[in-house]
Amino acid sequence: MTRVVLVPGVLALLPEYAGLEDPVAELRAACLDAVAWLGSGPVEILADPQGERVARALLSASGGFETGLRPSSTTYLVVGNGTACRTEKAPGHLDERAAAYDDALRAALTSSRHANWPDIELGKGLLASLDGIARLPEVVPEGTPAQVDYDDDPYGVQYWVLRWQA
Amino acid sequence: MTLRLGRHTFTDDATLMMAIVNRTPDSFYDQGATWAEDRALERVALVVAQGAEIVDIGGIKAAPGVEISAAEEMSRVVDFVARVRAAYPSLVISVDTWRASVAAAVCAVGADVINDAWGGADPELVDAAAEGGAAVICTHTGGVTPRTRPYRIEYDDVVAAAIADTVAYAERAVAAGVPRESVVIDPAHDFGKNTFHSLEITRRLDEMVDTGYPVLVSLSNKDFVGETLDLPVGERLVGTLAATAVCALAGARIYRVHEVVETRQVVDMVSSIAGRRPPRRAIRGLQ
Repeated sequence: MTRVVLVPGVLALLPEYAGLEDPVAELRAACLDAVAWLGSGPVEILADPQGERVARALLSASGGFETGLRPSSTTYLVVGNGTACRTEKAPGHLDERAAAYDDALRAALTSSRHANWPDIELGKGLLASLDGIARLPEVVPEGTPAQVDYDDDPYGVQYWVLRWQA
Repeated sequence: MTLRLGRHTFTDDATLMMAIVNRTPDSFYDQGATWAEDRALERVALVVAQGAEIVDIGGIKAAPGVEISAAEEMSRVVDFVARVRAAYPSLVISVDTWRASVAAAVCAVGADVINDAWGGADPELVDAAAEGGAAVICTHTGGVTPRTRPYRIEYDDVVAAAIADTVAYAERAVAAGVPRESVVIDPAHDFGKNTFHSLEITRRLDEMVDTGYPVLVSLSNKDFVGETLDLPVGERLVGTLAATAVCALAGARIYRVHEVVETRQVVDMVSSIAGRRPPRRAIRGLQ
């Protein structure tokens, strides 16, 4: 059985950036629940370098551990998120194309219809974090529905916490 | 070392606001504004709402003036301490007194700390604190008589003198039975010191922190700020906060203040710059 979780690469999830109050408490709780669902065994991380740090921190907090790519891998933690241009105060300011892009990406992710993915280059222009997400077709079979644990954009960046089981 | 103030304990990284509450008709800053007991209680309610962890209740102004007997001092503070204790169980109550008899009386009605602003003038005060289960603030005054102003006092090294005297007093308190985690030292700006001395104490406060005893600073609107900036009482807040920032960077733990909100902001900001306190809530650039 394969289990895959997607979390966003939010640096505020890292312990070195902890404040006295957690600005992403709800997101953190959803991430930790989903990562715990992966189990306490080895987990392969699919992410860019910053996303890898987030993944390791979440694994560390939930008792799992990272392993290198190997043929027998069945458990994956993917790090990525939608655009960062959804509001005037978003990191990339407001871009009118961001909402539609995230809607298309959400539809493709939750249905695992890999042919329906929006354009990767456009997404990178809208500051979406897609390195890990782009590898999802390697590990999630076409058509596998996702469980949506979290879907919000509290700081103008689109976050999802999703689970797939196949 | 955990800091224990009477019935309350605090972690090593906690900084504490000690708000001044005068039960005097003539203190320099408020000129008797809280002389009436109900006005003093209103002041306590205000500073608690502002986040003060400690109130420091005093029945005699520090400057020279009409002699106040122990009986009169007790009449000003003992019942008041009992009222504050009943109304605010989680508040640390400090009493500013040099008299052992007053210390014993306020400990009996719930005081947590004896703030001996005159540096051990009454040798039995530490015994009263030990018996009463209270913490002690050991101050440096250069050996002057209570309620006198400094006159031509000089030191070979004012910081060395402050450390030697406060640590000696602290050891005396421990020997008398006050727990070591309940002993605080205070260089006592302006007490037995001219402005140059108080500036040097501020500049070298890290040396006092290095003793290992938690350090209290009492800077609020004092004459060394006024003389440094040539400003009267009432216009010394900015200078006070500048001195506060320097002491916070050095690692002072308790701040005896008139203005709680402003001091808390300065101490928190400096503590975060020093890496001792995380920001309250950080998300900028980290989304």
